Amino acid sequence: MSLLGDALSHAVLPGVALGFLWNMNKDPWTLFAGAVLAGLFGTWVVGLLTRRTVLKEDGALALVLSGFYGLGVVLLGVIYLIPGARAAGLQNYMFGQAAALSHQDVWLMAVVASLILVVLALFYKELLLNGFDSNYARSLGIPAAILEKLIWLLLAFAVVSALQSVGVVLVSAMLIAPAAAAYLLTKRFHIMLLLAALIGMFTAWSGSLISYVGSSLPTGPFMVMCAGLVFVVALFAAPQDGIISRWRMARNRQLDSRRENLLRAIYLLWEHYGEGTENFSVDDLERRSSLKVPQLRRQLRAFARSRLIDWPSEDQQTFSLTAAGWREARLIVRKHRLWETYLQQAARFPDDHVHADAEIMEHFLDETELQRLERRLGYPKVDPHGRSIPEVHPNLS
Amino acid sequence: MSPLEFHDLTVSYRQKPVLYGIDACFPTGALVGIVGPNGAGKSTLLKAGMGLVPMSSGWVRFFGEPLAKVVRRVGYVPQRNAVDWDFPVNVRDVVMMGRYGRLGLFRRPGKLDRRIVEDSMERMGIGNLGSRQISELSGGQQQRVFLARGLAQQADLYLLDEPFAGVDAATEEAIVVLLRELKQQGRTVVVVHHDLGTVERYYDHVLLLNMRLIGFGPTQEVFNVENLRQAYGGQLNVLSRLALQRARTTEG
Amino acid sequence: MNSEVFIEVFRDPWLLEWRSSLLLVSMGWLVAIACGWLGVMLLLRRIAMMGDTLSHSLLPGLVIAFLITGSRATWVMWIGALVAAGVTIVLIELIQRYSRIKADAAMGVVFSFMFALGVILITLFSRQIDLDADCVLYGELLYLMVEPGVHWMGVTLPPAAWLRMVVIAALVIVFILSLYKELLASAFDNDWAGSAGLPNRFTHHTLMAILSLTIVSAFEAVGAILVVAMLVFPGATALLHCRRLPLVLAATSFHSLVISLAGFHLSIWLNVSMAAAMATVAMLWMISIWSGQKIKSKKKDNLTCAT
Repeated sequence: MSLLGDALSHAVLPGVALGFLWNMNKDPWTLFAGAVLAGLFGTWVVGLLTRRTVLKEDGALALVLSGFYGLGVVLLGVIYLIPGARAAGLQNYMFGQAAALSHQDVWLMAVVASLILVVLALFYKELLLNGFDSNYARSLGIPAAILEKLIWLLLAFAVVSALQSVGVVLVSAMLIAPAAAAYLLTKRFHIMLLLAALIGMFTAWSGSLISYVGSSLPTGPFMVMCAGLVFVVALFAAPQDGIISRWRMARNRQLDSRRENLLRAIYLLWEHYGEGTENFSVDDLERRSSLKVPQLRRQLRAFARSRLIDWPSEDQQTFSLTAAGWREARLIVRKHRLWETYLQQAARFPDDHVHADAEIMEHFLDETELQRLERRLGYPKVDPHGRSIPEVHPNLS
Repeated sequence: MSPLEFHDLTVSYRQKPVLYGIDACFPTGALVGIVGPNGAGKSTLLKAGMGLVPMSSGWVRFFGEPLAKVVRRVGYVPQRNAVDWDFPVNVRDVVMMGRYGRLGLFRRPGKLDRRIVEDSMERMGIGNLGSRQISELSGGQQQRVFLARGLAQQADLYLLDEPFAGVDAATEEAIVVLLRELKQQGRTVVVVHHDLGTVERYYDHVLLLNMRLIGFGPTQEVFNVENLRQAYGGQLNVLSRLALQRARTTEG
Repeated sequence: MNSEVFIEVFRDPWLLEWRSSLLLVSMGWLVAIACGWLGVMLLLRRIAMMGDTLSHSLLPGLVIAFLITGSRATWVMWIGALVAAGVTIVLIELIQRYSRIKADAAMGVVFSFMFALGVILITLFSRQIDLDADCVLYGELLYLMVEPGVHWMGVTLPPAAWLRMVVIAALVIVFILSLYKELLASAFDNDWAGSAGLPNRFTHHTLMAILSLTIVSAFEAVGAILVVAMLVFPGATALLHCRRLPLVLAATSFHSLVISLAGFHLSIWLNVSMAAAMATVAMLWMISIWSGQKIKSKKKDNLTCAT
């Protein structure tokens, strides 16, 4: 329902016009009341259209948005023609100029904002539940229908009070963008509310600043630009869901598996040479590993740095594993072969599928998982391909 | 050449596997029921095959080719609730859609297409409903419309997603007759099926599924107690338990 | 309404200035038909708000195209609009793919961002631009009266804006008729249409491209927000009482005529912009068709009860 705010903000125009016609002046309270009533009526019509006709929500929203707006423009046109009506600046109501606000307008906005805060604080639990699953909320005896109307009312209040500062078109941006950014940044509802409010405040402040510094620049668009930028930053940099952190996670996983795959390749080379081998040829490893040569050399250098292998200089054609290196390599191979055994015995996978799966899964198995796996398989000594499963600490067993 | 072959098909949703390492090679002319508990991934298997759900590994071949090359030989019949039945079309319009794939861009349906559409409706027993608006149809009639659209596609392989869900007895009978006819014409039919009690009567092959492939083969070989228990685990409901008992008696 | 006003509103326009009246009404009709036919497709695909989204996000495209070329020629505006529409659609699809944000929220963020960008550009370069934000927002059909006719081979044709709208309306109609199968099937069941080998992406993107061209061309006539009214009202009214797509399209054309004719007279009577009057009439017309239907179905219910 994100676009309901958009539809609402356009639908209030005839209400503003009628509020003016009520007593022929720009009293903020009558304009406010007219706008809120028109907004609520528009919301009701959206619901009516979706329930009673073949039209769907998107169509109903577009109809209310544009139909009400057209009616509003007609009414404004009529008002301008009434002789003596001091209607100048009425269109500011729709397009917003924060600098042109009067004290009375600011008071009105403060009242609306605190009202919204109070209602949110009072009905926090119910709103959370209702937003999550309204049927479940109803089954708990929460009056979902009344809550929904309450949200509509709050939304109408917020939209109408925001209209004068940011303008009709950009109200929906201020409704959606801070909330969407907050939604990306956290999964907890109360933090989300707080964040949305903070982001809203920040964008309003920075937008006004820009509009103030560069003289005669409109306030609303700059606020929206700031909100949009915050959204883009959140999209990329959100701690869990952000594009960057997701990319980093994938990258780390890739690096991890590259590291483990190379260790396994060394172990396999050892099996190939025959027991008792101490030195490994870099050329042989290059031939048997799936890694490209520069990647492989980079990884070997990293191993040397973390003292997993003994490789005095890069020109040297052979290296040997340190005690820590042996332990790591045995652990990796052990995981891999235990998982292969598990897949084949317990899950009855055909031989040729086992290998690819094990390659993915071995990177995710931790110590306890591994022990559980062993117990379940009855401490096997060989894997499905008939190769022995190494012990991590051969001396102890 | 097998009309439908899955190899190591794996589908995951948010990193959780839904289908895992599915291998199956469907014999030509088979009438296959895909059976498994709720959430076993039965519909997902068909959708992944049709490329409507991304797979994370494995491949699917239709008649030994990727789907795009043989799309005209494959007819997919989605679940009834996949569409908005208030849509401004009548029964004939929907069935005619079955011809669209064959016509190609900018071509309009011709005499032949219209005859095929009338035949398909006739075969599904909705020949008299041609100009009925689709919102006025019963559940069974809606299913017949979808099947008629499938027939109009004149495919060699049909994938039906729960065609028996929520239809009346007469429609169920009509669908069974249709399935047998299609089989007799040498077409291959794969059906996602829910009711364990009717599996043995309806299908000559069964694919038992619960995230993994539990069993696949001729019904009398695969549809047995051990496999069902493996597929359904502890969650067999009363109806399914009945079927299990029957399976046991036929075995014993 | 006394008879004097009646004569002034309904008779004089056709008696004294029938040429310009005809021009205005036909222009309104062309806009409403082009938008209405596309609107039917949007409504059936449940993306009616895409009209609102695009109508706002085209603005920076138009401004930048103008700043680069310094011209307001039709083809410049069309290219600017197409590029902006492409950017909008790509951004929406990217946000959907790479985050948990849903389609409607993504649309809201993107269009408001684009529109704000457009308004800022206009303000910053207001000296170079005679693109009036008010004009883009409201539009004014009456500009047609000021615009000179096109002279071609010794004949005076209607103004260029009118001719452009003829081209656009023809383009929309040809597009919908020639991709009728693809549009119908993918709106009915997108997944199935894809599985039957129909080119869904091509259909969707062509629809979006033609939609943005139509919106740009309708801008100067009806403005950014009221173009949404022209997109949804004729089609939605037709969908209320028609049961088959060809009938829906025919009824849309008829409703478009009613809307433009009645809107024309309303705008004369109240002396307001014709675009807004058309939107208001469209709403009233839809309400009357809807209630007419309600009454009819109630009568039917009573009859069935009686028998």
